[in-house]
Amino acid sequence: MSTPTRRVDAREKVTGAARYGADRTSPDLAHAVFAVSTIGKGRVVNVDTAAAEAVPGVLTVVTRIDPAELGSPGFLMGGGYGFQSLQPLTDDRIAYRGQPIALVVADTLVAATEAANLVRADYEPEPIATDLDDEGAETLVQEEAIPLPFLADIVVGDADAAFVKSPVRIEASFDLPRQHQVPMELIGGVVEWRGDTLVVHEGTQNAGALRGGLARQLGMDLAKIEVIAPYTGGGFGQKNSLQPHVGPLALAARRLGRPIKFVMPRTQTFHQASFRPASRHRVRLGADETGRMLAAVHEVDQQTSRHDLFPSMSTEITSRLYGIGDFRGRQRLVRTDVQTPGFMRAPFEHPAAFAFESAVDELAYAVGQDPVSLRLANDTDVDPVTGQPFSSRHLAECLRRGADMFGWAGRTHEPRSMRAADGSRIGWGVAAGVYPASLAPAVARVTATSEGKVTVGVDGHEMGQGIRTAITLLISEDLSIEVGDVTVYVGDTRVAPQHLTAGSWGTATALQAVHAALRELRKHLNVADSDPVDLGAAVAATGQTSVEVEATTIAPGQPPEIIEHSRAGLVSFAGPVYPGFVAFSFIAHFVEVRIEPTTRRIRVPRVVSVADCGRVASPVTAASQLRGAVVWGIGASLREESEVDPRFGGFANATLEEYPIPVNADIGEIEVGFVDEPDPMLNPVGVKGLGEVAMVGVAAAIANAVFHATGRRQRRLPIRIEDVL
Amino acid sequence: MTAIVRGSGGNPANAADEGVCLALGTMGSAESTIASACRTETTFTANGRPVRVELDPRESLLDVLRERLGLTGTKKGCDHGQCGACTVHLNGRRIVSCLTPAVQVNGQAVTTIEGVADADGTLHPLQEAFIDNDALQCGYCTPGQVMSGLACIAEGHAGSDDEIREYLSGNLCRCGAYAGILAAVRETARRLNSPVSEG
Amino acid sequence: MRPFSYAVPATLAEAVSALAASEPGTKILAGGTTLYDLMKLDIEAPPAVVDVHRLAELAAIDTTRPDEFSFGAGARMADVADDPVVRRDFPVLAESLAKAASQQLRNMATVGGNLLQRTRCGYFRGGPAFPCNKREPGSGCSAIGGLDRGHALFGAGDACVATYPGDWAVALLAFDAEIDVIGPRGVRTVAVGDLHVEPGDDPQREHTLAGDELIVRIRVPVTPSGRGSTYHKIRDRESYAFALVSVAAGVAFDDRGVVEDCRIALGGVATRPWRSPAAEAVLIGERLTEATARRAGEQAFAGARPGTGNAFKIELGIRAVGDALRIAGERAGR
Repeated sequence: MSTPTRRVDAREKVTGAARYGADRTSPDLAHAVFAVSTIGKGRVVNVDTAAAEAVPGVLTVVTRIDPAELGSPGFLMGGGYGFQSLQPLTDDRIAYRGQPIALVVADTLVAATEAANLVRADYEPEPIATDLDDEGAETLVQEEAIPLPFLADIVVGDADAAFVKSPVRIEASFDLPRQHQVPMELIGGVVEWRGDTLVVHEGTQNAGALRGGLARQLGMDLAKIEVIAPYTGGGFGQKNSLQPHVGPLALAARRLGRPIKFVMPRTQTFHQASFRPASRHRVRLGADETGRMLAAVHEVDQQTSRHDLFPSMSTEITSRLYGIGDFRGRQRLVRTDVQTPGFMRAPFEHPAAFAFESAVDELAYAVGQDPVSLRLANDTDVDPVTGQPFSSRHLAECLRRGADMFGWAGRTHEPRSMRAADGSRIGWGVAAGVYPASLAPAVARVTATSEGKVTVGVDGHEMGQGIRTAITLLISEDLSIEVGDVTVYVGDTRVAPQHLTAGSWGTATALQAVHAALRELRKHLNVADSDPVDLGAAVAATGQTSVEVEATTIAPGQPPEIIEHSRAGLVSFAGPVYPGFVAFSFIAHFVEVRIEPTTRRIRVPRVVSVADCGRVASPVTAASQLRGAVVWGIGASLREESEVDPRFGGFANATLEEYPIPVNADIGEIEVGFVDEPDPMLNPVGVKGLGEVAMVGVAAAIANAVFHATGRRQRRLPIRIEDVL
Repeated sequence: MTAIVRGSGGNPANAADEGVCLALGTMGSAESTIASACRTETTFTANGRPVRVELDPRESLLDVLRERLGLTGTKKGCDHGQCGACTVHLNGRRIVSCLTPAVQVNGQAVTTIEGVADADGTLHPLQEAFIDNDALQCGYCTPGQVMSGLACIAEGHAGSDDEIREYLSGNLCRCGAYAGILAAVRETARRLNSPVSEG
Repeated sequence: MRPFSYAVPATLAEAVSALAASEPGTKILAGGTTLYDLMKLDIEAPPAVVDVHRLAELAAIDTTRPDEFSFGAGARMADVADDPVVRRDFPVLAESLAKAASQQLRNMATVGGNLLQRTRCGYFRGGPAFPCNKREPGSGCSAIGGLDRGHALFGAGDACVATYPGDWAVALLAFDAEIDVIGPRGVRTVAVGDLHVEPGDDPQREHTLAGDELIVRIRVPVTPSGRGSTYHKIRDRESYAFALVSVAAGVAFDDRGVVEDCRIALGGVATRPWRSPAAEAVLIGERLTEATARRAGEQAFAGARPGTGNAFKIELGIRAVGDALRIAGERAGR
């Protein structure tokens, strides 16, 4: 058997054969476009659809849907399914600019687009608050506003007292911008009725929530809804829930008796889906003269909407980065006039690590310590928050190996001490990252045939991270069959509940379930777990042409009934605190920046990142995912900010031109490494998560490198040319 | 002498019946092509196959490929020339199909991702190199990257890493597969430009 | 997008007569990268378009004459950018094109159409949520007092501060290029410097061509400073972005190494391509040094009037001028 080095669905992707949600076509397809609010808040008084309706080919213009016909999906973080609780078109309230005010369906896309542009509305506008400090923005203490244990402030010892007593004190405030996920695949797909069954083809990370949420909104039986998403063209958190366009499309498709295709215009994706909220992080670090950290206080203000409380979980990681005895977190939410913000790759951890790891770098300079040595000296084997052991923790190995690969020993400590031949300032920076290793319930159904082929249907969504490849590899290795003899179905509610794939639990969750199903299969085939197997012969020996088994797995400590919660499409993950241990993934990033002597363009010619994600389930796709996350870190720290004009609300630079994600020419060498030690406690396959931790700390490493190059601390992202001129 | 005509609406099915085409002007040449918002017949080749479609002049080549011809490998990522996901070749040169009114390709040759591999399924070396270098993740931008990479090599813009990076910067990849894309194009350019090429 | 009628004349003469006979508001469609884009945004809504993108008469690139390069208005940006003679003898022209947009767009867009590219101001392109005098006369200018990081330091008024986004015209302006324009009243020649207008109190008017006129070709005098030239463009990312600041610069030295010709024009900072004769004058008769280049840069930005978020472009621009002059000087060979 060959060890596969290739992504199993790569061929489909390089030939254009991979079918994404909007790739379905059919002769009777109708096309939908939404008209959206031009005001930032208020009431829509009248919507004039006459001109729109007069456009030839227009089938319907919907401006209001009875809430009895289409209820709220509920908010994902409030026991619901939607990226926000607000369902547009069900009343006259406008909560944010860009909120849909009319749905147009027409025979053709040109007709629907023309008509949507002709919809005119009268509004009663109201004043808006868009920024953390705006008058009218309402600040809430998170643990009081949402009294749930996992959202409570983390407090260990008396950090304020320990800080005051510390001989060395670092205190700094960091501002992080709103950002958008902008996966390349636009939101949308095809909604159709087959008899009384609603079928949704749409790229998503959470087919289960689309099904569950539509069932709730439309008052339907779960069994009458199918969500099919074999490929998702990037999610990054944006596609983690039911979005408010689907319900109205389902109603319109039923009324018209036609399937409807909807592809959300790029600008609308900035407003009709979630985004990374603005946040401010105030960090206080106390240490002794050797750099031993004694106390940390991490206070966070994070933006949310008026209609939902999107919580912060920033201090979950900053309390675990080092063995700090006294820690106090404080998380507050600031209500502003915007759609509900949400998850975007390393949603809290990227901002939190930028702030905290920048402060740690300041500490290293304050005590004259090498930033790598200082981090190594503050490592811990025990979770400072719970006192429990880490299931595995190889942060020190990440730092040591990364330093070697990078050539860190050649660095001179003083800021502004390294310079290139062309006069550019060189800066070398380091930062660590950590991310919870969570798990979710999953169902895997494995069918093995007497021809030695295996088909598996399992919870999970393929959005580029390589979950299909990881599952294939696990089966291929376990059963000694060729990769080509394995077929994987994910992202399809017909084969499994399709719990949310996010938070870096996707691969571990799916693999754990598949692993259990394979154990079950071996039981049926009377083959011991560790023995080699001739699969086709073993199946034939049962007297059947195929054998089907199913396994359900849950996270350690979860009650068995959690699977029903997941089947309903509700978020059901657990971690990082489990009975008897805590589980996190770790990473260390090393960055070189070069800053031009005159116009001060900041370039990142090389990065080295070494991750501890447990066992590496799929080496090729894992390396790509890590490199991609570094690209994300570069974008997040040097390029991306979703800008808001406070007079208008919404987002001002809502295009791929004005929201500048990195291009190929922005990216230099990215060398990646893995500790690749299986995690012995978290699950039998030894896999933790990678996709999120991979980005955590990149921004701090870049900012620390910019400090090393210039002697100036950067406490606001993105760091732009004007910040270093 | 022919009249330029103008229709009233966007629905090709209805517009022809409306009979409200207005005379706009006259032109002297038989070669001049006349069209209207009613609809116009456009012929071109897509991956070598002749295509004849009745078009509303507003329709983009991208939408026509995807919605009318079923060539859904070409992707929509922005619809405004800001991402490159819709890159196709027009007479062998890369363009963005989203900013190309489909009527403009009348009489020309369009190649999409579906036309890159051989008819027997043998992949183009660049497609192989994309797989070998894992130059993709979610795959959504990949058809555009491949079309752009092919053109980059054909244009002679694959001479150095920096040149490849620059000439592939019109194709955004949010997954951040840029290093693999660079490697795939570099490797393929070397292979195709090597004097002792195989085959 | 609004319905429109579409005509493809087979010859230039037919294009001219089609335009002459067309209803008001008819637009010329060439590469489509600006017009069709703005039609998709419902910002342009011409009743008719006349497609000239394949007129062979407009496609020629002629670099054989010793005194003048000539580019047919329909030549693709990529073709001029990749022309070996242009790259060797007039790098500023090739670079201004190669650093614009992406290769796909450069394969579509024409060098004539590019001159008339409309602003990328987000409030202009953003649609009806934002007042914009250019889009909706009399509605106001959202950029004034708004997000103006990308907006103009020069040539702005109370009605509009939108930046002219192009690069090619900046390079052409620095080197005294002219365009030949055809219309029902015949052919006329317009200096590139007379093509674009500042917004004044009529930001909708961006250039001096009549609606029935068509650019036929662009002619650029060949000069020694063209060989010693560069287009230096500073962006928010390394490629595929509009300029924060860009500089078209050219230098020629006499036998003693003294600057005898100097060209400096700015992009990304003005409502139109912006040439700075005063900055050029700083260097003429001087040696090109870091100090004199800095002085030229300071002179180029002397009259800058920043808004709230774009003042940094003054210092950035001064330094970019210095860098551009250094690169140009190296090419001119002292």
